[in-house]
Amino acid sequence: MLTSPALSTPASPGRLNAIAGRSLAAMPTVWRILWRVPMLLALAALVFFVLRVLPADPMGMLLPPSATPADVKALTEALGLDKPIPVQFGIWLGNALHGDLGRTLTSGLQVTPLILKALPTTLQLIACGLLLGMVFGIGGGLLAFRYRGTRIERAVEVVNSISISVPEFLWAILLILGVGIGLKLLPFLGQLDAGLTVPNVTGFLLVDAVVAGDFAALWSALKHLALPAFALSLGIAPPLMRILHSSLLDAYTEDYVSAARLRGLSENRILVRHALKNAALPTVSMLGIQASTVIGGTLLIETIFGFPGIGSLMVNAIGAHDLPMIQGLALTYAVAVQAVNMVTDAVLLLLNPRLRTP
Amino acid sequence: MSSLALSAPAPLRRVLGEPRVVIGVGLLLLLIALAVFAPWLAPHAPNEQDLLNTVLPPAWAPGGDRSFPLGTDALGQCILSRLIYSTRVTVIIALTAPLGAALLGCTLALIAGYRGGRIEWAILRMVDLWMSFPAIVLALVLMVALSPGLLNVIVAIILVDWTRFCRVIRADVVVLRRKDYVAAARITGASHWQVVMKDIVPGILPTLISLISLEMGISVVAESILSFVGMSVEPNVPTWGVMIADGLKSVFSSPWGLIAPVGCTVLTVLATTCLGDGLRRTTDPRLFNRSGT
Repeated sequence: MLTSPALSTPASPGRLNAIAGRSLAAMPTVWRILWRVPMLLALAALVFFVLRVLPADPMGMLLPPSATPADVKALTEALGLDKPIPVQFGIWLGNALHGDLGRTLTSGLQVTPLILKALPTTLQLIACGLLLGMVFGIGGGLLAFRYRGTRIERAVEVVNSISISVPEFLWAILLILGVGIGLKLLPFLGQLDAGLTVPNVTGFLLVDAVVAGDFAALWSALKHLALPAFALSLGIAPPLMRILHSSLLDAYTEDYVSAARLRGLSENRILVRHALKNAALPTVSMLGIQASTVIGGTLLIETIFGFPGIGSLMVNAIGAHDLPMIQGLALTYAVAVQAVNMVTDAVLLLLNPRLRTP
Repeated sequence: MSSLALSAPAPLRRVLGEPRVVIGVGLLLLLIALAVFAPWLAPHAPNEQDLLNTVLPPAWAPGGDRSFPLGTDALGQCILSRLIYSTRVTVIIALTAPLGAALLGCTLALIAGYRGGRIEWAILRMVDLWMSFPAIVLALVLMVALSPGLLNVIVAIILVDWTRFCRVIRADVVVLRRKDYVAAARITGASHWQVVMKDIVPGILPTLISLISLEMGISVVAESILSFVGMSVEPNVPTWGVMIADGLKSVFSSPWGLIAPVGCTVLTVLATTCLGDGLRRTTDPRLFNRSGT
């Protein structure tokens, strides 16, 4: 559930390539981008229907046992639960398109501002996790390839297998135990040391600290971000490394590499200018495939490390059965995944001229 | 190819000769034994609280108590006993959820891969839909709708994880469907049902078996995550996920409350990975060919 879909596939690297490249060949790019709109609608509908149809007694779930029939009636009308479910979905969707996700059941506050306030924390975590994951994944892939057939390749593969077989939920806790408590090297609770505050300008703590010129806070925020981002990157890096390594091996069997060598280009230049450019395609596709895993991963990482992002909001909303909040957050997660996928599509389009012909 | 020819008459011996399989099966059998014999093995009842002896260190550390071998948690519950009783949920999840997900995923994969056409398109789009939504968010939403309970956890894991099977198995089915022996079977008058059962299902078994054993680890972690956020079984049932959540809260006073359940979960996941890897190496004919050349 945590690991990337590709991790669970007992497949050769070649088959991983095939899975990552499958959607590429299948659809023209414009269609793949437009296709995301009905996908989002379907996801929103799925969550809505699961929450409205599956519970045997939605009212019992929402109200305390001491609620009177009048309470039930009032809430039913307030939520529009007396209308048919497709109509309810239509109303919710119409409001959601205008940015109104309703009010929370627990505090009565608007859902949208609460989500927008928590979102930067999550986005910052995703960005740092992705950055670290790409550094490790691409670095590991290049290292293993450059020293193929040596002990270094073996070592990279062993490290890769270890990090792939433990999901990031457990890595996060192992890191807390090892680095946080055992070695006492890094903090692992919250975003800043106690006593430090940063004025909220953008919501992105690192940016805000720089804007305020408070470098003590910046250093503290970076230290607090280190373990969560590292835990997240451990889920991202191994499949990237594996697919880059195998794509590079594939690329080196192509004629253009021999041709480049005959032209007297250096090995490093062949690797960077010729092989890497082609091997980058399945690697970027893999990042897109991983998007939902990475974004889902932040939910747990935030809960474990006490970050006030949308993951913490979600866990609280789930505990309180706060349906409008859960629906709003589920939509946010779905949009986030589709957004990452659109970015990877765009990057692929830039990298691969073959995709540009409609 | 020679290894295939030599070992084919004794596939079981080949599988059991692989050390990864032996280690994986051994650890899982140990887990099952712990779950079955929990009342005899555990020194205390799982929810028995000794409020005079909270956050005790393990027995070997200074201040430890021999009747609590791994110490106690913040409520004075015996960590070792809870650890042992927790294997019950783990074992039930590991034995049922993967089979359910495999059944659902494979059925859809066989329909999609064998029939093709619009129904394949529809099933593949459903897989895309599922995969573009974080699994953990879907599982949490399902658990909110279904309410806590062991059966509901299993249902939620099945409804989230069937896509893993569907995606991979469909790719296999598409390849198998085009084999000459499938066409031959059809020509000799076999019905679609017979072809699927006799010619296609045996072909997907090697992939299926290793997927199931990997899914065992995945579903154990999934349950542990749901327990961690308090959305799994009833609150009075001990699970490793609940222990991890409790242990994290009192990690400074008693790290063993966290180390023990995390260690057990990691070991279980590694056992299933080991088993899946070993099974794949010994049952997938494509891999014999590769190692043979």
